[in-house]
Amino acid sequence: MTLTQQPPTEGPVPPTIPAARAVDLVKTYGSDDAVVRALDGVTVEFARGQFTAVMGPSGSGKSTLMHCMAGLDTPTSGQAFIGDQEIGQLDDAGLTQLRRDRIGFVFQSFNLVPTLTAAENITLPADLAGTKVDREWFDYLVGQLGIADRLSHRPNEMSGGQQQRAACARALIGRPDLVFADEPTGNLDSNSSAEMLAFLRRSVSEFHQSIVMVTHDARGAAYADRVVFLADGNVVDELLSPTVDSVLEQMKRLGS
Amino acid sequence: MWKVTRKGLLAHKLRLALTAVAIVLGVTFISGTLVLTDTLHATFTTLFGHIYQNVDFEVRGKAAFTDNSGGGGAVRKPIPDSIVSSVRRLPGVAYAEGTVGGYAQFVAPDGQAVTTGGAPTIGLSFDPNPQLSSLRVSSGHGPTTPNQVAMDAGTANKYHFHVGNRVRILLIGPPQTFTISGIVTFGTADNLAGATLAAFDLSTAQHVLGQPGHLSAIDVLTQPGADKAQVQRAIAATLPPGVEVVTGQTVADEATGSINQALSFFSTALLVFAFISLFVGGFTIFNTFSITVGQRTRELALLRIVGASRRQVFRSVLVEALIMGVVASLVGLGLGVLAALGLEALLKGFGITLPTGPLVFASRTVIAALLVGVGVTVVSAIGPARRAVRIPPVAALADYRGEQAESSRRRIVIGSVIALIGVAALVLGLTRPAIQLVGIGAVAIFLGIGMLAPVVARPMSSLIGRPLARLFGIPGRLGRENSMRSPRRTAQTSSALMVGLALVSTIAVFGASLSKSATSSVDNAVSADYIVSASGNGVGGFSASVADAAAKVPGVSATSTVYNGEFEVRRSLTNLTAISTDHLSDTVILRMDAGSGGPALAAGRLLIDSNTATTKHLAVGSVVPVKFAQTGTSTMRVGGIFKPNALLGSYVVGDGFFLAHFNRPLPVAVLLHTGGSTAATTHAVKDGLTAYPNLKIQTRAEFQKSQQAQVNQLLGLVYALLALAVLIALIGIVNTLMLSVFERTHEIGLLRAVGMKRRQVRAMIRSESVILSLFGAIIGVVVGTALGVAFASSLKQQGITDLVIPFGSLVVFLVLAAVLGLAAASWPARRAAKLDVLAAIAAE
Repeated sequence: MTLTQQPPTEGPVPPTIPAARAVDLVKTYGSDDAVVRALDGVTVEFARGQFTAVMGPSGSGKSTLMHCMAGLDTPTSGQAFIGDQEIGQLDDAGLTQLRRDRIGFVFQSFNLVPTLTAAENITLPADLAGTKVDREWFDYLVGQLGIADRLSHRPNEMSGGQQQRAACARALIGRPDLVFADEPTGNLDSNSSAEMLAFLRRSVSEFHQSIVMVTHDARGAAYADRVVFLADGNVVDELLSPTVDSVLEQMKRLGS
Repeated sequence: MWKVTRKGLLAHKLRLALTAVAIVLGVTFISGTLVLTDTLHATFTTLFGHIYQNVDFEVRGKAAFTDNSGGGGAVRKPIPDSIVSSVRRLPGVAYAEGTVGGYAQFVAPDGQAVTTGGAPTIGLSFDPNPQLSSLRVSSGHGPTTPNQVAMDAGTANKYHFHVGNRVRILLIGPPQTFTISGIVTFGTADNLAGATLAAFDLSTAQHVLGQPGHLSAIDVLTQPGADKAQVQRAIAATLPPGVEVVTGQTVADEATGSINQALSFFSTALLVFAFISLFVGGFTIFNTFSITVGQRTRELALLRIVGASRRQVFRSVLVEALIMGVVASLVGLGLGVLAALGLEALLKGFGITLPTGPLVFASRTVIAALLVGVGVTVVSAIGPARRAVRIPPVAALADYRGEQAESSRRRIVIGSVIALIGVAALVLGLTRPAIQLVGIGAVAIFLGIGMLAPVVARPMSSLIGRPLARLFGIPGRLGRENSMRSPRRTAQTSSALMVGLALVSTIAVFGASLSKSATSSVDNAVSADYIVSASGNGVGGFSASVADAAAKVPGVSATSTVYNGEFEVRRSLTNLTAISTDHLSDTVILRMDAGSGGPALAAGRLLIDSNTATTKHLAVGSVVPVKFAQTGTSTMRVGGIFKPNALLGSYVVGDGFFLAHFNRPLPVAVLLHTGGSTAATTHAVKDGLTAYPNLKIQTRAEFQKSQQAQVNQLLGLVYALLALAVLIALIGIVNTLMLSVFERTHEIGLLRAVGMKRRQVRAMIRSESVILSLFGAIIGVVVGTALGVAFASSLKQQGITDLVIPFGSLVVFLVLAAVLGLAAASWPARRAAKLDVLAAIAAE
């Protein structure tokens, strides 16, 4: 991959270190009698400036992996890193700061605080940190996402697609090391999905943004640079430069 | 984060308003009380300052007792009027005139005595020197002859008396008729805080007020330019022992001081109820914040995900409470001023015309109101804020199932410990007795029980809901299920009502016991057939000639006159009762434990009741040092010990002894023995005493009833003050139900979609409300009954001899709580029934 533009991140992470990685990550739920191993020793790396899709059937552990790597959930054992920061060593305040300053999130639904306008939602991480928002970057993002005329609206006055795009803007506004997207198009129609995915793709290509997206949609995964396949809490396969067909084929193979 | 908080506040205005009402009402109560008492304080200070501004010195008897805790100012011995002339002769003295004060009560044109509702009926001498007199003549002129009187403007206006009218006045001696020479005001006020004033010229006053040859005090004016300190020393040098000279300022300060003492008692009593309201309000706020934090779980978790720290989340909840507290307190402060005006008008309506003055809005009132209002709100929100902090970020995700494993064992332990500490504090406080400990104990008990209530909420809701389910069918059953769904919420919602009803029940038990004790104490204290006392709440006395008049009534075979006074026993001021020693057994029941009754009294011995004997370690034959205002220090021998008697109190002497040691005391009661009370004897007694319209003539049964009525009147007042707390608790229920309806929009829509009628939706919400109310009410009544029993039992020595649990009243409270629960549900129920089915189903 060639750099078409200087990456916006000025973070301390040297290019040789992946944006995030997991080492032998294990997560179990339940008590002794009925232990569910949601993650069964996952080791995986997510390269910087890359758009990675994580796929797998329900219960494969893809969401759990994301939660553990993003510091939302604590693994039973193993390590997870954002850049060179092992997140298991962080206390709640450290995790909060990590999420606020170095990670962006887009979820399937309920991305926005209902009482705040779109603009306020987008600048929320900066407001929480008490830092200034890069106005130019803000204007660029909302322009690219086509929500410039929606900024003063509350979430309940916006369509699902608009809400997701506002969430996208919020995830990117702080130029995080990594954006975690958890089924970001799960609730969207195909047009909105395509716009959203195209935007994510562009942000990787043009701004060198690192993105990890959990999805079960082959068309969505095809926008990624690399697809990691999970099954039963383990990485079972991966695919570089995926297409819809290659992803579908791979899934079929894993499913059988 | 501030933005999130502010937006959140704006988005939930209704919820906030409902929650804030609790604080608004409590703060209104507090600030109203403070504004009113500050205003009264300032007005009286100004008033007394005006009255005494020209008086340079006052010569008066020294305070008789070192212990002046009794209130109403020190007891002073009258001084001989010969002192006036010796003071006048001193160089530097421009003017000196004696003053006399005592009992004088007007008789209205309809023949009824003018009563004041508690304030004294004052007779006094009129000082013609306007510089010295506290009275200002507003029409006519001051009294100058023995048959003239000046009347206060308050009485004159109320009963339409004019200058030149004749008016009968009840005095310590037989009643007399006077001509009104003038109408006077007390300073600028129509009367002195409701007291009536009858002013006579000095020598008439000395005569009719029972102090011939004596004065209460001498007011002195110095000559311009005189060295006041020197004049004061000169006056002091001429005075006999036991007489002192003080500055006018000192007198004004003392007068203000004793008024303030009364005011502070009044304001403390009101503030106690204000704090009760706020305490109940605190429960409501705690509950509302708990529910809203619960409802905002996903939102708060999302904030945590995008980078809000725990501290920020905690602060956002507290800031929300802070803002609410500030706004509510400010509103309450404003309403408090209005409430003060209203209270003042109310007092005026009762005939207590207060001197008029501008409302005093002290900065302390603002500080106290804000501090308490904001404090209660923020402290109540701390628990919910801590819960908000514990919400994990993952809770924002759709598939997150919250761990409901709230450790109920921890709750039980902590709740039990707090409740037990409360019980211990209460018991200690009652036995001490220390009223603050009792209060702390009660608060701890309520908090502890509030924590324990969730444990029993589910089974109790189920039980209470059973008949409702039967009555209303499916809606009733759903209401019951809803109330069982979240035991914690059910318990929290009803805990405010629990506190309110607990207090009401406490008062009910206490009051019923007091009332019963009052009845039986009359039975055990008085054998007379008629009790003659002063009308007007039994305050003050009446003419000493009543007993003689009563004795002349045909059919009256025995009379006993009862006096009350104060004396010092072993240097502590206490009440003393005196009773005629003749025919004692015909009128009073005196059961002796030791020594003799009547003979000991006749011999000038002291009788004490058995409680006093025990606590003071006294026995028959003990000699105690005593001090009387008029006659000074001496000793008395205990002649007998009697069983506690409500009429007689702790210390009793014979009337002969009493009259020898007190200056013209007024009787407080005359007991008549007629050998039974028939309509004819009642008629005869009333006929014989028509000259004294200020008397209340009651048969023993009527006397009992009036004692009970007094208790009931007091209870009524307390209930009225507690009603505010119950109201706040009900607003809490309305609030919770509204939140529940909002929370269950989707569910209600579903029920409507599958065919539930609007009426049934309403029935469902109402059932839930009734269960919530009854749950709180039942716990409250049980706790309150226990507290009431504890209070009543602890006061056994103080005369609450009978313990009565008024089951009827308690059942009425429960029914009332259910009805109020129904009422509280009406708005939320209507709101739920009006939900648009489609929109409700679409709601997430």
